[in-house]
Amino acid sequence: MDPTQATREVFWNIQYTWLVYVLMVPTLAVFGWGFWLKIRRWRAGQPAVRFDRLGERFQLFLRNAVGQGRTIKSRYAGLFHSLVYTGFIVLFLATTVVAIHHDTPLHIMKGHFYLIFQSLIVDIFGLFVLVGAALAAVRRWVSKPAKLVYTDEASWILVSIFVMALTGFIVEGWRIAVTDDVWAAWSPVGNLFARASDPLMSDAAMQTGHVVIWWFHLLVAFGFIAWVPFSKMSHVFTAPLNIFTANLDGYGGSLKAIDFETAERFGINHLGDFTWKDLLDFDACTECGRCTDVCPANTVGKSLSPRDIILDLQALMHERGDSVLANGNGNGSGNGDAALLPIIDQKTAVSPEALFSCTTCAACMEACPVHIEQLPKIVDARRYLVMEEAEFPEGMMDMMNSLESRQHPFAGTQFSRVDWTEGLDIDVMADMDDPAEAEVLMWVGCGGALVERNRNTVRATAKLLKKAGVKFAILGREESCSGDPARRVGNEFLFEMLAKGNVETLDRYGVRKVVTSCPHCFNSFRNEYPQFGGSYEVYHHTQFLDQLVGSGKLPANGPGAQAGNGETITFHDPCYLGRHNGEYDAPRNLLAQVGGARQVEMHRSRNTSFCCGGGGGMAFVDEPPDQRVNQERAQEAVDTGADVVAVGCPFCATMLDDGVNARRGERDVKVKDVAELLWDAVGETEETGEAAS
Amino acid sequence: MRVLVCLKQILDPDVPARDFEIDPAAKAAKRGGANLVTNIFCENAIETALQFREAAGDVKVTALCYGESSAEDCLRKAMAMTVDEACLVEREGNTNPDAAAVGQVLAAAISRLEQDGGPFDAVLVGRESGDWGTGQTGGVLAEELGRPALGFVESLSPGNGGITLRRQTDVGIEVAEAEPPFVVTITNNEDNVPRIPKTRDVMMSYRKPLQKVSLADLGLDGDEIRNGFSSFEVEEIFVPTDEVDCELAEGDTLDERVDQLARKIHEVVASIG
Repeated sequence: MDPTQATREVFWNIQYTWLVYVLMVPTLAVFGWGFWLKIRRWRAGQPAVRFDRLGERFQLFLRNAVGQGRTIKSRYAGLFHSLVYTGFIVLFLATTVVAIHHDTPLHIMKGHFYLIFQSLIVDIFGLFVLVGAALAAVRRWVSKPAKLVYTDEASWILVSIFVMALTGFIVEGWRIAVTDDVWAAWSPVGNLFARASDPLMSDAAMQTGHVVIWWFHLLVAFGFIAWVPFSKMSHVFTAPLNIFTANLDGYGGSLKAIDFETAERFGINHLGDFTWKDLLDFDACTECGRCTDVCPANTVGKSLSPRDIILDLQALMHERGDSVLANGNGNGSGNGDAALLPIIDQKTAVSPEALFSCTTCAACMEACPVHIEQLPKIVDARRYLVMEEAEFPEGMMDMMNSLESRQHPFAGTQFSRVDWTEGLDIDVMADMDDPAEAEVLMWVGCGGALVERNRNTVRATAKLLKKAGVKFAILGREESCSGDPARRVGNEFLFEMLAKGNVETLDRYGVRKVVTSCPHCFNSFRNEYPQFGGSYEVYHHTQFLDQLVGSGKLPANGPGAQAGNGETITFHDPCYLGRHNGEYDAPRNLLAQVGGARQVEMHRSRNTSFCCGGGGGMAFVDEPPDQRVNQERAQEAVDTGADVVAVGCPFCATMLDDGVNARRGERDVKVKDVAELLWDAVGETEETGEAAS
Repeated sequence: MRVLVCLKQILDPDVPARDFEIDPAAKAAKRGGANLVTNIFCENAIETALQFREAAGDVKVTALCYGESSAEDCLRKAMAMTVDEACLVEREGNTNPDAAAVGQVLAAAISRLEQDGGPFDAVLVGRESGDWGTGQTGGVLAEELGRPALGFVESLSPGNGGITLRRQTDVGIEVAEAEPPFVVTITNNEDNVPRIPKTRDVMMSYRKPLQKVSLADLGLDGDEIRNGFSSFEVEEIFVPTDEVDCELAEGDTLDERVDQLARKIHEVVASIG
């Protein structure tokens, strides 16, 4: 037995092998045709730049497509998917090796390579496929999680995969048994089948059975390949492509501006208005349901389901899209009526009701293993409803009315933009001889200045800045809403007006550095104002304060150093600071400065944080009492046993205040901004003459 | 049919109390940081007119405002809400003409608009303004035009030959058949909440023509309007102050405190006499 001569006969026991090549032709033809149809559909979409920054794209591709970075975050599904995924890759390589060995002069399938890779490793990975498919079957048919879509197609895919792996081992086992293969030990799984069959079957039976099963295996495999482009198995190709062409700018910058002078329609209500990348998104969906599983609106029982929005749009594209996209050429210029096929439909997942319950928290996009962009599509549809149809919930209407006539969303507030400064002696840009003396603009935000419970937060922030000796000023009455709520609800026109106005004001004072305690303002300034010519160095107050503490300008060992009083604090990540802008550490670093306090984390925190329910204009909408996102989140915070729920956003503060009051029971649980807690810890300052509260 | 809606631009009534200041010399509210908005009942009147147009079909809605140049914003917004045409009678200077003067100006403007485009079947005026709140303009205007008037109307709909009006009264809803031309003052109800304009209409509103006329164009003497028609004079204007004098009833027991409280009430009542 010379291992260097080890090999096996390709097509052992098989006659008419030419038939394999004949069958391969229609198989590959159908496969190619299916993908050609898809590519033709995508190409009819509107333009999008997604083949730039190739280096970054390749990295993302390696991490999340090849490396399955996001898929494995769900433990069970991640495990069985990895088993099947790696198994398929190795089995594909093995088939390629066979082809090269048999059909080219390169007879590579021999020796140690044959034994170690082609026999042992391939057997192990084949087993991976078998086990992976079995685990998936248990989930689909036994544990049945609600997030899955239970289609016959999905079941047949699973059965096909299992059958392909199983029949592969059967033919291998019977070949080993009949030929008494001396290298049998190198194929442990196949050998197991051989040993199990030997006492039960005669060699002749196995030889006959081998022929039958071998052809059956081939037909299933070829059928599967031909079926790939027409089923969700197409994700094997569409998902990696989707990941490669993903949005690289973060969720915070994922909404695009509209050219109001030239746009034929505002927002999207027509298949033909989507970009090719949007259409690719629809085809990349694997129906895993993770987006809907983490959606706050869906969690509390609302009709919004990001997964179903994508799948309903996919179905629309598949059923009626070809004529629309092909004839309409995507821009409505061709076969007009067909291109105007509406996507917003009361009877589907893309209903106005569902669209207007989105908090724009981006949990869906963070959860999606294949980087589908649900949020911009939801906002685009909202844009259509708001700007073309003037259709939206009443609370949003009041908010927009107030934004239009008062430049803030809080109709009926009893406070002016400067009331909170009382006794603090804070510079207002307009009253300064030289506004350039202010190194930092403290952008207060409507939520900070005009809502009573948040005035303490902005006071604390201002006092901390003063204590650290930061030369800052505010805009006072010249400040207006950043426009975030207008943009999220879909009123891009109003957002653009507010944004341009603010850029003009900031440029007039030569502002370079902006600190704000509202993550929504922070996100707009940081990611969206550059679209309107405003580029600033923007900090959330927790980031800026963290720098001040780090550089020693804010001593944390003040008189209130033990302000924590042995209390437990849990931090609620604001969506627009965390997921949208990737800042998770600064607020936690600051909380660590609150001596005598202990931090605990909620189950859903950092990038999997659960929205307070206030984003996307939802803070202004009256939710049904049994469908309140803020109460769901408040319950989670209360369940940690924390005494203090720390926040970093005026919207989170009001939403969680309400929620905690409804859910805290007899326990005393406070909601406080990180700045308030830090001020307590830093203690009194002579400059302001105010004691820590 | 033609319907006319009269609008007034006022200081935002939702301005926070602390931002509201009076200029005692001018005997008027200071503009301060407050915004200028369309009086809410006037917006209800626009919405009512638009709903009438939607129900009746062939109706042209015109908006008319007597105000400073800033009032152009109110008329643009009315056009964004899809009012067909708008006319601004320019008011010079920061004056607060009373209802008699305003009625005179509006009547002259209406006559001019009717010369050009035919008679208005209905003239709609907001119930009262959010600043002075005298609620007289509608009545005065009807008198000036010599047309019948009805107050507190909440909706107009096409009727048998005329126009059916629903008006709010102390005892319930009154339904009236009115034969044009007439003047009505519009009050609010849940159905005439002013619509939010579609963005495309907002953009288009800036491209629609806006007619501007001066008092002289209408053959009116500006000085006379400013000075001569006032049926009353403002003596003084001030923000009322709430003075609270709080005293806690003392005593060690509840009974003692109740006694103390009762005694105090007697004293206060006696002092008022």
